Amino acid sequence: MKEVPTKGSSIWEAASFSFSQENSYLVEAPSGKGKTSLLSIMYGLRKDYSGKLFIDNRDSRNIGSAEWSAMRKKQLAYIFQGLELFDDMSAWDNIMLKNHITRHKTQQQVRNMAAQLNIEPFLQKHCGILSFGQRQRVAIIRALCQPFNFLFADECFSHIDKQNSAVAMELIREECRAGGAGLILTSLGNNGHDVDITLRL
Amino acid sequence: MKYLFQILWKDQSRWHLLWAVLGTIAGFVLLLTGIHFYENMNKVLRENEDLLDPEYIIVNKEVGIGQTLGLGNGGFSEEEIAEIRQQPFAEQVAPFISNEFPISAYTRSRQFPNFSTELFFEAVPDAFVDVRSDDWGWEAGKDHIPVILPQDYLNLYNFGFSQSQGLPQIPKEMIGMLQFSVVLKGATEKATYPGRISGFSNRINSILVPYDFLTWANEKFGYLEQPRPSRIILVSPDPTDPEIIRFIDEKGYDTIREKLKSSRLNIILKFVLSFLVLIAGIIIGLAFLIFLLSLQLMISRSSEKIRRLNKLGYHHTEISRPYIIVLFTLLFIVTAMALAISAIISGKMAAMAAEWNMEVGASLSGTIYLVSIGLVVVLFVLNTFSIYLGTKKLCKE
Repeated sequence: MKEVPTKGSSIWEAASFSFSQENSYLVEAPSGKGKTSLLSIMYGLRKDYSGKLFIDNRDSRNIGSAEWSAMRKKQLAYIFQGLELFDDMSAWDNIMLKNHITRHKTQQQVRNMAAQLNIEPFLQKHCGILSFGQRQRVAIIRALCQPFNFLFADECFSHIDKQNSAVAMELIREECRAGGAGLILTSLGNNGHDVDITLRL
Repeated sequence: MKYLFQILWKDQSRWHLLWAVLGTIAGFVLLLTGIHFYENMNKVLRENEDLLDPEYIIVNKEVGIGQTLGLGNGGFSEEEIAEIRQQPFAEQVAPFISNEFPISAYTRSRQFPNFSTELFFEAVPDAFVDVRSDDWGWEAGKDHIPVILPQDYLNLYNFGFSQSQGLPQIPKEMIGMLQFSVVLKGATEKATYPGRISGFSNRINSILVPYDFLTWANEKFGYLEQPRPSRIILVSPDPTDPEIIRFIDEKGYDTIREKLKSSRLNIILKFVLSFLVLIAGIIIGLAFLIFLLSLQLMISRSSEKIRRLNKLGYHHTEISRPYIIVLFTLLFIVTAMALAISAIISGKMAAMAAEWNMEVGASLSGTIYLVSIGLVVVLFVLNTFSIYLGTKKLCKE
């Protein structure tokens, strides 16, 4: 990642900004400042921006749908703020839906992650009946079921208690370390996460 | 794929798909039985050219008292033939040619009664002859003369003459075995050839020999004055054209009007069949639309889910796959059902036709399988294309 668009405040106003795989970032801002927009643009979901976004020196506007899909399977992991889970499927199936196309984790590895995050007993339950915090943890596990160069975590601890957040954060860091991947967290305020670079929008 | 089906197939109403399937089956069955019926009707018509002989019209001049007294020549002049050729209803025109030397024939056979008779031959180009026989034709050195008699002659013999004279009736199939000799008497030379009956014509009421034979024989034996052709055979693309009757009446010519009447049956039959095929086409078109709209409806009902799948890294072609599998399965069912129903109907039709002494094939022809496969491929390709477009559009939004 080399540059991010410039518009509005801070990062938006900077002439250019690069995200590097070696670092972890915390993008901190109150609601409505464009945290999710920033991630959506870098994930190829939004094209309504001015300026330029380069991914590995390639102009993202030249990246086609097939390549975006491939990148979302192998290079870019995203824990969505809106979770994007299927409520009428079990937590397990939701996770497997992703793992099915990436074949990244074994079922045992998935179960271990669920156990670490204390949601193993709920795996066979429909997502629709889980609490938001539980669902957030399902979404975290799902996002980790793929290889990635960058993990976008969009306010992914907002409904998880401190203890579980810390475990989840450790799990995420471990995965990033293992894959040599960069991490971009967003948050309303600093929750005490230890990151290399903090950005304010 | 299991997960995609689980996600995309949920909350879908399957009723409209059922209607699409039923509609397409109905259209297919109509079309396939229509083609089957048409093919078989054509076959029956070809076998029974007497029933419907639309194109060939034989025109002659009415015989007046003048000809009886030897005052005028009854045949067509060259100008008159040229005039007929120019008529829009006359696609092809050929005058009959006849022998320019005396001919007689006799039989010497144990199985058949003996005959001896003076004779005449006429000939028209082979394309105008309705009897299909490998024996028909003439090249120098051929050891016998093939002859075609009018069907009426055989009937006259079998049902009139033979019975009243206590002679045996002769079936059509045995006629080929009848041996007789033909004597051609030229001015100076005379030749005897064996003759063989090649078949019976319903179209041309004359004793026909191959055109090539008669031109050859006229050159070799002919010494009488060449008579003007007394009859003309013409092919008309539309025998129901009232212009034909009008022209014939105006010129004082004559023809067998019954034949012109019966040809309408053929036209009506073809019209009804084309109508059937048209209706079938419309039904298939509508069924195709229902298919298209049903699949689009399914896609748009799942639009949220499709977008979500795309966010998770599923490409729109991957998301389309379950729809394509559903489409393929349904089309497979449609084709199988339509072919099965058509086969049953054609079996029943064959049984019904057998009661009327018509031979109609009970099984479906290769054309029908080809048509159904072709249609299914077209439906499949168009629908697949539309599915791809639909999911792609959602993923782009």
